[in-house]
Amino acid sequence: MHQRSLASKILVGGIIVVVLLWVLFPFYWAFLNSIKKPAETFQGSWIPFLQFQPTLEHWRNELAIPEIRRALLNSTIISIGAASLATVLGTLAAYALARFHFYRPQNGTLTTWFLSQRVLPPVVVVIPFFLLMRQLHLLDSVWALVLLNATFTLPFPVIILTQMIRELPLELEEAAWVDGASRFQSFVQIVLPLVLPGLVATWIIAMAFSWNEFLFALSLTNKNAIPMPVIIAGAEHTRGVQFWFVGVRVMLTMLPPLILALLSQRYIIRGLTLGAVKG
Amino acid sequence: MTQPTDLLRSDASAEELARSPSGLRRLEDRTKIFFILPAALWILAFTVFPLLYALYTSLFSFRFGKINQFVGLQNFGRLFTDANLHSDLRITLIFVASTVAAEMLLGFALALLLNQEMQGKNVLRAIMTLPLFATPVAVGYLGITIYFETNGPINAVLKALGGSGIPWLSHPVWALVAIIITDIWQWTPFVFLVSLAGLQSLPQDLYEAAEVDGASGWQLFRYITLPLMAPILWLILLLRLVEAFKVFDIPTSLTLGGPGRATEVYSLFTYRTALRFFDHGYAAAQGFLLLFIVMLIVSLLFGRIRELYQEEI
Repeated sequence: MHQRSLASKILVGGIIVVVLLWVLFPFYWAFLNSIKKPAETFQGSWIPFLQFQPTLEHWRNELAIPEIRRALLNSTIISIGAASLATVLGTLAAYALARFHFYRPQNGTLTTWFLSQRVLPPVVVVIPFFLLMRQLHLLDSVWALVLLNATFTLPFPVIILTQMIRELPLELEEAAWVDGASRFQSFVQIVLPLVLPGLVATWIIAMAFSWNEFLFALSLTNKNAIPMPVIIAGAEHTRGVQFWFVGVRVMLTMLPPLILALLSQRYIIRGLTLGAVKG
Repeated sequence: MTQPTDLLRSDASAEELARSPSGLRRLEDRTKIFFILPAALWILAFTVFPLLYALYTSLFSFRFGKINQFVGLQNFGRLFTDANLHSDLRITLIFVASTVAAEMLLGFALALLLNQEMQGKNVLRAIMTLPLFATPVAVGYLGITIYFETNGPINAVLKALGGSGIPWLSHPVWALVAIIITDIWQWTPFVFLVSLAGLQSLPQDLYEAAEVDGASGWQLFRYITLPLMAPILWLILLLRLVEAFKVFDIPTSLTLGGPGRATEVYSLFTYRTALRFFDHGYAAAQGFLLLFIVMLIVSLLFGRIRELYQEEI
């Protein structure tokens, strides 16, 4: 790379500052409003302690609401359940795709079959799911959402772990087979520990996606099973726009997936491009 | 019935298996089916079956959410005459075209600019992943306060600069603009991150050789960067188009399709048809039209990006 002039360095630095402000502003705005007293949300003050006295009152109030607690619990069950299910199913399939040859259908067709979940518009299947879950008496049940989110996050473990397992040398497993281990034993005892970082990362990505899912959650819940995204969606229509409540609820909803995203950093690009680009 | 694990824990030793290749082959076949079957059946149960069920549903008219009578292809016929559907499809197309174009241009340009050695690159990349994982509904809900007309931060800044406030959420055109900006905020980082990953995987020696030959910066970009990045850019375009057509969360939480129907995107229309008006048959037909549009895009673009997947599949 050739030497860059001072002017271009300043230009690049300036662009980075603008980009960071643009990306981070909404998060800061939500946080700011969540710790302001109602009257202060209308004033243009930006720095807690210096310009205004922050308060945790709204956080306490919101966390005391039974519906909010319920929604946080529901979201937790849905995302952990769905991600775990997707990871188990996906890891088994990934091992099969990485280590065996399939003839009818072939490996490529099977992979495309798993990837197609991310292309299918959810609104196409929302009607049959609604009718099915009504038949199964699973409307307004977190388990319906566990099943659906597992389906739609299944591509992440399949594609990422197929690649990771393929990169492991087969000799490691062959040595175990000579010692009498079965395929399943070598899978559990040798392959799984070696792909553990990817396994955890895809589990985390699947969890974040399940947490954020909205369309199915809105369609299939009405009271007991309502998760966070649904509870905040219609809130302003019953309450009017109260910046401080918006702030707290937005933070409560966003923080878990944001933290999860930072934890799975290394595998995010692979996951989001369905394995085509390794970040 | 034999337990699945029995199939795997062969009683035969490795040598015995090696002596009978056909036995080994049969064991392999059973083993691989054990690994693939759960996920394959899962997909069958939760996507193929619902799709077939939707197809069946689309052939009936519904009353109060119950099947009323068989109407053949009548629900599909309604797709051609429904003016509301057409205006919502138009809104969706405007949304898709403007968000995807802006995200591709901004994201790729930013990646080109920042594709250099610098301090804090990992921090920058981490920050850029945040919008991708911010719950879209929460982003839309937060947007209500950011675009707030009387004292939201955007209008406050505009007024401080001497301008007048913009009627973000009450004017049909501005409401759509607000939704487009929000989507651009959320997804430009995706284009940026994937482009940057692509740029960093390009072979450096090609650039060095071209620079020795006296190629200009523009020539490097035009004849090396762009052709090498083409498959990745097509892939990003495909992924963004598909996702943009599915848009539901942000318009639903930010504007609820309003004012009037100015921001009622396709999925929101279908959702309302199905779960507000309980016209399940027609909603299913609408779903298939959307699926058809998305599949058309995928098949048009997939040929161009196959090379990216070739080594994997």
